[in-house]
Amino acid sequence: MKKILLILLICSTALTAFAQDVEFKASAPAQVIVGNPFQLSYSVNQRAKDLRAPEFTDFDYLAGPYTSQSSSTSFVNGKRTSSFTITYTYTLMANKEGTYTIPPATIKVDGTQHTSNGVRITVLPPDQPSSASANKTSTTSQQRTSSNTSTNNVSEENIFMRTIVSKTKVCEQEAILLTYKLYFAGVDVAQLTNNTRLPEFKGFLKQDIELGDIQTELEHYNGRNYQVAVLYRTLLFPQRSGDIVIDAAQFEALLRVQNRAQVRSIFDDFFNSYTTVTKPLTAPSVTIHVSSLPVGKPKDFYGGVGQFSINSNISSTDLQANEAVTLTLTIQGSGNMKLLKTPAIDWPEGFEVYDPKVTNNFKTTTLGVSGTKTIEYLAIPRAGGIYTIPAVSFAYFDPQTDAYKTLSTPEYTLRITRPTGEDANATVVNNFVQKEDIQQLGTDIRYIHSDIQYPIANIRSFSIAFGSFTFWLCYLIPTLLAALLFVIFRKQIKENADITRVRYKKANKVAKRRLKVAEQLLKADNKTAFIEEIERAAWTYLSDRLSIPTAQLNKENIAQILATKGVSNSIIHEVLHVLSTAEFARYAPTSDHAMQDIYNDTTKIINQLENEKL
Amino acid sequence: MKILFILLTTLFAEANIQYAEGNYAEAAATYEQILEDIPSTGAANLQYSDLSTDYAVIYYNLGNAYFKQGELAQSILAYERALRLKPSMKDAKHNLLFAQAQIIDNIEDTQSFFLSNWLKAVRNALSQRTWTALSISLFILALVGFFFFAFSRTIWLRKTAFYLSLVALIISIGACANAGSLYKRDTQRAEAIITQGVVNAKASPDRSGTELFTIHEGTKVKITETIGDWCCIHVGNNIGWMQLAHLERI
Repeated sequence: MKKILLILLICSTALTAFAQDVEFKASAPAQVIVGNPFQLSYSVNQRAKDLRAPEFTDFDYLAGPYTSQSSSTSFVNGKRTSSFTITYTYTLMANKEGTYTIPPATIKVDGTQHTSNGVRITVLPPDQPSSASANKTSTTSQQRTSSNTSTNNVSEENIFMRTIVSKTKVCEQEAILLTYKLYFAGVDVAQLTNNTRLPEFKGFLKQDIELGDIQTELEHYNGRNYQVAVLYRTLLFPQRSGDIVIDAAQFEALLRVQNRAQVRSIFDDFFNSYTTVTKPLTAPSVTIHVSSLPVGKPKDFYGGVGQFSINSNISSTDLQANEAVTLTLTIQGSGNMKLLKTPAIDWPEGFEVYDPKVTNNFKTTTLGVSGTKTIEYLAIPRAGGIYTIPAVSFAYFDPQTDAYKTLSTPEYTLRITRPTGEDANATVVNNFVQKEDIQQLGTDIRYIHSDIQYPIANIRSFSIAFGSFTFWLCYLIPTLLAALLFVIFRKQIKENADITRVRYKKANKVAKRRLKVAEQLLKADNKTAFIEEIERAAWTYLSDRLSIPTAQLNKENIAQILATKGVSNSIIHEVLHVLSTAEFARYAPTSDHAMQDIYNDTTKIINQLENEKL
Repeated sequence: MKILFILLTTLFAEANIQYAEGNYAEAAATYEQILEDIPSTGAANLQYSDLSTDYAVIYYNLGNAYFKQGELAQSILAYERALRLKPSMKDAKHNLLFAQAQIIDNIEDTQSFFLSNWLKAVRNALSQRTWTALSISLFILALVGFFFFAFSRTIWLRKTAFYLSLVALIISIGACANAGSLYKRDTQRAEAIITQGVVNAKASPDRSGTELFTIHEGTKVKITETIGDWCCIHVGNNIGWMQLAHLERI
């Protein structure tokens, strides 16, 4: 059992060793000069065979491959790490300037084929004769004044600094990359001192770029190949428009200069003696033309210049009052990220809003500052309802298209339910306190009603709806009825009035007829009948003539009506006299002469009244 | 039809029990269920003139159930509706005042004249149907009085009949005007209650409009105009626009 375990363990370690990744790399200098040989090497960390290098079409093949092997084993804290490397080295030479790519090579490790990376090589032209001659003159002068040490060798041509800006014409807030580069050729720069004076970069916001270790590259400049080292690199964001001058920067380098003049013996020559020379270097000043942002800034411009995208996210759209809601806004892009203002969110009324939390995740590269700015807005709704968080619009200036662009987030609709239980009461009490002019009406609402007409039915007691047909009929029918009745009544009255007129017109005739009968009765000596006839004649005449119903007929009435109709007092008096005489004669026996008088008086008064306008 | 109403009566009793037990949310849901089953009670096309005044009780109880849950706006709405059906319902009046005392907004209409307020109070004292019935009966009384005036021979009777008839006619016209005003109110349903907790009224029917004033739930407003899903509201002396979703017509 133990044996098996041991075997397994060994196998597993062997496997791990075996499973170590194969690294097969090609390396060559990034820049080479025409006519100068250089080395291209392939290294692999496993035992390998059958290296197949590509065809070096653009380069002259000089020698190789030389194989070298190295291996190392180390124990660190009891762990064993071993490394093994085989390096195959070719010596090549470029014969044409330009940029070339050496294609990948292949190698076999334990039967599997591995491919290396390709290598990109820039071939620089050789130093031009003019500069070379200049160089030569300098050397001759050097030779001439060999006693003068070799400060001349450290001329402005051999070592100088350049200020390189990516753009000299920018708009406000647009990033510029500023680089201070040290160029040197034919001199030996030992180190840079700390005696560096950078300009103040007034009018700019500065964002330094980490450089790490200073590395030199070959660069062809003004017809000569230089070793170039980047000493300082920064991104500048202009904060105002106009021409801004970046002052010169001061650097200082220590150069090692061989003291040829003091060569006296073979030993001195063998142990080359050097002196260290301090060389102040000045990177020239530059002027940047900053144009201001075009007019017509959008309302929601937060100062962003560059390329941006915006994203939003809400924690929840259905929640209870007094629960927090978080709206996250992510601005991604490149440009003056640091100077972006936080967009404001127009929260609906009734939300308790807290200060937003801003998290920046920026990366500064030579291309500018890029990354994300995350803004978390926290708010707590205090009342229920449906609320809309309006879209956040974010405008920025895009220097590439030279125009303002506006992005916006979606709109969110929040459904907030009212708080339940204790919270709800608390809110109500709270509201109660806030309100002014409150009138205490009672301690609570009145209880529900449980009595209802059984069963619940939509049957109304007789009633008329406003504006309905019945409604209008209810006015129309009584009106029509009233009109009809009115007409009927009026007709009746008219007819009645006609009867009175007939009677009025016939009054005299009737009276005359009755008086004739009375006369005959008087001649026949029928006194009682005579008096009755006379009375009837008088009363009927008055009734008809004055349109007084028989029921209302009396002496007072007659006198009154006659008076109102403008009959003279003497006639009224005579009328009353006749009436009372006739009345008297009915009950008291009277002489024939008196009877004759009554007859005459009655006839006379009727004739008189007939002449009156009644 | 009758079976439906018996069913509703059972539901009503059930809701009352739920209310008594303190299950206000369930009780409110049951009352709403009853109202949903009765024709012409849907919130969108509520026809007060088609409803029996007995239904005021259902609205009243619904208002109580909402009030107990703290749903102030919904309870005010239900009380208002109960009073529309039965203006004489004292308990509904009391509870409505009680609920209105708890809303945040303290609207005072300084523009309206005391006489118009008084006339409004008189108008609201009776239901539309009562006013209509009153108007018709007084109109008939006026006609009868007119007959007495026209055909009576007795002078005092004629005088009395004339004045009585005149007064009856004036009151009849007034009652008819009140009925018409209530009819207009109930058919237009211009009055509404804010149901949203807090809402800002804008200067234009547009989300980006200038915010003019803030009102809170339960406040009664008057809708004067509607454009799309926006409406123009009058509240106190303020005029502004808001979305229809934030309020409900009485």
